[in-house]
Amino acid sequence: MKSREKTLRRSEIQLLEKIKESLDRLNEKMEVIIELQKQEPKNIPEQLPDALDVMTLLSLPDHLRKTAITICKLGRATADEVAEQTKRARAVESAYLNQLVLMGYLKKERVGRKAYFYVEREGEKQ
Amino acid sequence: MKKIIAVHSYKGGTGKTLMSTNLAAIYAMNKHKVALFDMDFRAPSLHAIFKVNSAKYWLNDYLNGVCNIENVIVKCSSKAGDNLYLALANPSTEAIREMAAKDRKWEMKALGRLLSLRNTLLNDLEFDYLIMDTSPGLQYSSINAIVSADTVIVVTTMDISDIEGTKRMIHELYDLFEKKTGIIVNKVPIEMISTLEEREKLRKKYEEISNLPVIDVAPCFCDVLRLGGNTIFSLEKPEHPFTKILKEIAAKIEKL
Repeated sequence: MKSREKTLRRSEIQLLEKIKESLDRLNEKMEVIIELQKQEPKNIPEQLPDALDVMTLLSLPDHLRKTAITICKLGRATADEVAEQTKRARAVESAYLNQLVLMGYLKKERVGRKAYFYVEREGEKQ
Repeated sequence: MKKIIAVHSYKGGTGKTLMSTNLAAIYAMNKHKVALFDMDFRAPSLHAIFKVNSAKYWLNDYLNGVCNIENVIVKCSSKAGDNLYLALANPSTEAIREMAAKDRKWEMKALGRLLSLRNTLLNDLEFDYLIMDTSPGLQYSSINAIVSADTVIVVTTMDISDIEGTKRMIHELYDLFEKKTGIIVNKVPIEMISTLEEREKLRKKYEEISNLPVIDVAPCFCDVLRLGGNTIFSLEKPEHPFTKILKEIAAKIEKL
């Protein structure tokens, strides 16, 4: 009887973890949508860019430039790691990073529950 | 404290190379391990000053991703001792043409390679200073150097077009990258700053004009021109008043 209870609890915990993970993702998407609504549509280029070079960095609005330069320095990082460098809130960095992904400047890769952001450099190991 | 310093200017001929070579020599003499990089790919000059005519690998090759930075850096034994190392830009016309034709994607990769120098040079190879001599004005190689540096030294003359351009460049470009910046006003007629008080007064005046931190004002000595850039001034003439000023500037930059 007791062991049955235990398995039940374990599966409950697993379910709760899954729900939390989904909520995290949903939250992240909401942040992006909110951030995008705040921005003027002119910030999004019609043609997708292919490089995040210094001249492009210069053309970005201040808040995004800070995030983009941090990714350039770190190479590949999570929103947490970027927030640590910029001293801004994780949620804020997450929103900016996702916006840079949507703008085509950064790539995003999910490993388990973590999302990594990076600049795609052809033929180079990340 | 370990540091990456970029030496830049708005216009050409302000004394960037004079400043960067002497800074490097002075730090090396003070027992710091120093790397001096020629980042002026449009008009390379360090090979001529240090009399190196051929190299197995140039800085161009490192940025092109065909070699590691260890392959480019060469030890330069001089009166400064054995602590000064050089990374040279390829002076051949073909190389200059090739560097001028690079696209945005290449510049992005080059920025990545420059940013990684902090780890390889300062941490792994234990350099204390990396000094980058750059091309004047707004161009890719210089802005890449500025973005990867901790401190940017901007050398200007008293020329109004130079001062105005420097001011605009710093307020509209450097500030965007949040860089620690210091200005050196160079080639000031010696009679204008013959006393320490006059020098300090003029420094403050330029600080007010530009609304930017001015590290120092440096006089124009004919003795500097007489050497024709053939040697590093502070090493050749250690007792000269200009060398004394260069040493003061080097100490101020260390504290920036």
